[in-house]
Amino acid sequence: MDRKYWKSVEELKFPAKSQMLKQTEFPSDIKEEFDPNKLKGLSRRKFLAISAATVAVATTACKNYRDKGAIVPYNQKPENVLPGKANYYSSTCTGCANHCGILIKTREGRPIKVDGNPDHPGNKGKICATGQAAILNLYDPERYKKSYVRRNNTLQEVGFTAVYSDLIRAVTEASSHGKEISIISKPIFSPSFAKILNEFQQKYPTTKIYTYEFLEPYAKEKAWEELYPNTPMLEVDFSKAKVILSIESNFLATEGSFIKNIREFVANRNVDNAKEFNRFYAIESDFTLTGANADYRIPLNPSQFTTFLASLINEIVTQHSGKLVNTSVPVSKLNAKFSGFNLEDFARQNGIKFSSLQSIVSDLLENQGKSAVVTGDSVPYEVHYLGFLLNEILGNTKCYRIAPKPVLPNNRVVDFVALSEKMKSGQVGLVINLDCNPVFHFSKDIDLANAFSKVSYVFTMAESQNETAEHSTHILPISHNFESWGDFYNGWGLYSLAQPVIEPLYETYQKESIILSLVDGKMIYDNYHKYLQNFWQNEIYPKSNSGVAFEQFWFSVLHDGVFKLEQIEPQPLVCNYQSLDKIAINPQETSWTLIVKKPYFIGDGRFANNPWLLELPHPITKVTWDNYLAISETEAKSLALNSGDFVEVQADGKKLEAPVFIVPGIATKTLAIEAGFGRKVTGAIGENVGFDPIALLSKENFSNGYVLTNVKIQKLNRKYQLASTVEHHSLNDTFVKDLHKSRHIIQEGTVEEYLNGKFKIHRVEEKLSIIPEIKYTGVKWAMAIDLNKCIGCGACISACNVENNVPVVGKDQVMRGREMQWIRVDTYFSGTPDNPEVSLQPMLCQHCDDAPCENVCPVVATNHSPDGLNQMVYNRCVGTRYCSNNCPYKVRRFNFYDFRDHFANGFFYQDSLRLLNNPEVTVRSRGVMEKCTFCIQRITEARQNALAEGRELKGSDVKTACQEACPADAIIFGDMHDKESEVYYWRNHKLGYFVLEELNIKPNVTYIAKLRNKKQEDKA
Amino acid sequence: MRKSQLDYILKVRLPVTVFVVAVAYLVTFFVSRPERDGVGYMPDQPVAFSHKLHAGNMQIDCKYCHISVDKGRFATVPSTDICMNCHTIARKDRPEILKLAQFYADERPLQWKRVHRLGDFAYFNHSVHVNRGIDCKYCHGDVAKMDKIQQVQRFTMGACLECHRNPHAKMPELAGKVNKGPEFCGACHR
Repeated sequence: MDRKYWKSVEELKFPAKSQMLKQTEFPSDIKEEFDPNKLKGLSRRKFLAISAATVAVATTACKNYRDKGAIVPYNQKPENVLPGKANYYSSTCTGCANHCGILIKTREGRPIKVDGNPDHPGNKGKICATGQAAILNLYDPERYKKSYVRRNNTLQEVGFTAVYSDLIRAVTEASSHGKEISIISKPIFSPSFAKILNEFQQKYPTTKIYTYEFLEPYAKEKAWEELYPNTPMLEVDFSKAKVILSIESNFLATEGSFIKNIREFVANRNVDNAKEFNRFYAIESDFTLTGANADYRIPLNPSQFTTFLASLINEIVTQHSGKLVNTSVPVSKLNAKFSGFNLEDFARQNGIKFSSLQSIVSDLLENQGKSAVVTGDSVPYEVHYLGFLLNEILGNTKCYRIAPKPVLPNNRVVDFVALSEKMKSGQVGLVINLDCNPVFHFSKDIDLANAFSKVSYVFTMAESQNETAEHSTHILPISHNFESWGDFYNGWGLYSLAQPVIEPLYETYQKESIILSLVDGKMIYDNYHKYLQNFWQNEIYPKSNSGVAFEQFWFSVLHDGVFKLEQIEPQPLVCNYQSLDKIAINPQETSWTLIVKKPYFIGDGRFANNPWLLELPHPITKVTWDNYLAISETEAKSLALNSGDFVEVQADGKKLEAPVFIVPGIATKTLAIEAGFGRKVTGAIGENVGFDPIALLSKENFSNGYVLTNVKIQKLNRKYQLASTVEHHSLNDTFVKDLHKSRHIIQEGTVEEYLNGKFKIHRVEEKLSIIPEIKYTGVKWAMAIDLNKCIGCGACISACNVENNVPVVGKDQVMRGREMQWIRVDTYFSGTPDNPEVSLQPMLCQHCDDAPCENVCPVVATNHSPDGLNQMVYNRCVGTRYCSNNCPYKVRRFNFYDFRDHFANGFFYQDSLRLLNNPEVTVRSRGVMEKCTFCIQRITEARQNALAEGRELKGSDVKTACQEACPADAIIFGDMHDKESEVYYWRNHKLGYFVLEELNIKPNVTYIAKLRNKKQEDKA
Repeated sequence: MRKSQLDYILKVRLPVTVFVVAVAYLVTFFVSRPERDGVGYMPDQPVAFSHKLHAGNMQIDCKYCHISVDKGRFATVPSTDICMNCHTIARKDRPEILKLAQFYADERPLQWKRVHRLGDFAYFNHSVHVNRGIDCKYCHGDVAKMDKIQQVQRFTMGACLECHRNPHAKMPELAGKVNKGPEFCGACHR
């Protein structure tokens, strides 16, 4: 696969030479190989010269050289659209099962930015990095624009009506022959669409509906079902948990309602209420972002999770049963079940300090009913079971809260295995894939690809090409979420609506519309919109007891985006301890284990063609454009592996070739890899990005956790280039070890030290400066970043990319350190590479008062504004890069190319992507420097509004894009002169410090030192 | 070459040539400057709309048509339906109005020729100027006297800064109301 990345045989044979070529922009040894004067006739050069002269003469002679083009106003101006003013529409994000409420910002009728809807109680105005960047999928030039039919194994472009009439024929044919019509879909949260499907089923009784989620934690659902039969699964409310024990859970980044989780988790990370800090233990094999935020993190091989939890339960029920508050716990039954497990033995066998495990036990016991055990979506059934059981024993079920639940229950993997068999035996007459990619999502032994070929009609409705469409007879393009209507129900009384904010860019319909037309028998463009309104009028409006007419009700819900009925409270949980008899808990040997995780940014693979998301650095390793097998340094050494070495992993005869990447803190004998990468059929951007670990999975994995034990690893004699933006190996080097701590870039303490007043922030007295002091009057902008709250999710980076037209540069350029993101999250490791501590720090332009970049600019293209901004004037910049050289924070970015043109053959210059740009921000060209502007376009807009309203500009009028996006509210922005403002408070907080303050350049981004909630005894 | 000839070239011909070139350059530079800056540009519009008639004789407020001038960056050229507010009744029989009505009926947008234009790198905002009480005429000239719109001011950074630095010299009625305009880069460039 890596072969694609070689540009020539030269590169393969002489990597050193090609490396030199790559590094030199204009290689010196390329010379003219001919003398134009010796050429006969008109040389190319002469021809060009003559043409140029002709054009020049023609232009000067041209009468219309003063022409400035035209201004084309609307013929009939739509109401509420004012050129230059943004409109906001509430809608719902369909990127994952959480269905966050969103506000879509449109300018002149085109969506340009997405943020969370503050009225939505689930995500409260915040969305993840993926949701921020999802807007690019709307304008993706590689979207399906036409319908396709496969004839003689080739796709033929046809009109929508042709495919649609085939669909009608297929439906009638299948149902008249009594064959099954299988509809495969991602989880259905839309009550109206569920009703349409129901009507469809009534009209065509052979219809069966299959829904699933990519890497769904079936094992978790099964464990819950065993312990609490017939009750919907709940999630942990982290705001209620004082002690959190996570087993391989990535609840802050990829699992569950993670935006909500972040908010709840950081609610107990407020330094002004440091006594109430939660304590977070993470036991994990992979280094997750969640683990990076733990107070204690213990790497553990996934095969030991069961033993660990069993030993923990045993320790609690044998040693401390008297302390248990929950009296309904059958202690003797548990005693008997877990007597074979001993925590001390476990600690010894796995080389973990017993005292650290004891402190988990004591913390959990002291906080019964106020703690939580969370198990990750990838781990096996037994681990989930024991996790839920532990919560039950400790009375932690009080900390549970509702989790979104689809309207139609999701199917199990066995259903898909059965479906595959049915297709192969010819019982299925038609398959309709609704915006999902089962061929990619399910393991190869379910064999959906082959099964599809046995079915006479396979219709795939998709936005862009995917593996399932590749195995379909017909492809129907569907509208993007931003072009579609929709309603969503979280299962607990909360409804939300999605509305189109732009006419479909291409000849597409939304999938609901197509299915509905099959029910109605006629294809009308706006049919689903009307159906949705009717549905709400008949089903939801009566429940609302609203005094207003339906029309008013409808428009008010559409305006708010959400509609809340009284929340349905989950029924009380009754634990079925009998299920204990059924479960076999056996200690496992530690063998080489591979764990498959959900990816951070690309969802279920549907964002694998989104360059913004592919270029977002992985939160821990900062690898872009790829996934990899994460391995610890010790294990890599034992296998003589280096980062980038290809290995072949074998599990049960299945093979995967992928590069390894050395990540500190990975457990012994563990390989961790993220799924969703390695898409075979995708656009030009996602082609050859990453490796597909689903190749290793079998159908058993889908029902019992995505962990493979006893895998075999073999080093291959190949290398792969991974584009990471950090170096990990420096950790071993004593010279740079803990450099960040000695330079006071990262300042950290413990909660206890802070409360005792022992933790002192290192501050530097302001020194005399040779730069004349400027008196700032009026508003002066400053930022504060609370490192206790920042969890490093990357939403800020994504939001900044979208807001500020930040270009994507591509993998080759990232490898040369030319990524353009204005804000980055620095990861600093400390301690041993086997179990390091992570410190995360968002880094952006600090807008220093005495900015070193300003002094060195020969053309004064960067200078200071009276409101404290370090300005960057693109049209003045000549690209000397002196400023970047002199910037101590390394936050300036240089356009080595016109990256819009350079990346993927002018990807961003394609027509549809021109609509994506924020018209308030200059699109930078080659040769200019750029950097964070503190969202000056938003400041200007706020100033304009203040002026129109005849009042003074206030600091609180402006929210930067990163601040608006931050799910943890870690970024605070405002006027440092306003004594009432939050930013003033944090700037003068005793935990506030500036990075590299000793340089005396007066930066304006205050960092609030991170406190770790450590216990006293292990302070040494 | 003979010495006297070289002498002649150096002492007479060269200075004269340099002088002639310099003078020609300077004269051209200054004479053509307004033209280069677009001053006097007066293109034909698709419909011969007269500001003199509407804004001058009939005293229609600028904001009636340029609806966004106090609300956002753009003053906005009016959409055709604003014209038709009156012209569905008024002067329906005039040839230019017939032309206009045809555009409206065909739902064809009118392509008005752009007269004033700033560089793409400058983010001029109409509303902040108008809301400070600065009259349109300071940049656009007295349009109430123009049958056909033409550019009368230079639209260069120098021209902007002239007013920003000395607003009261140009606009005496603003004394006491408006201080200096901003001069930092970020006010216009971002």
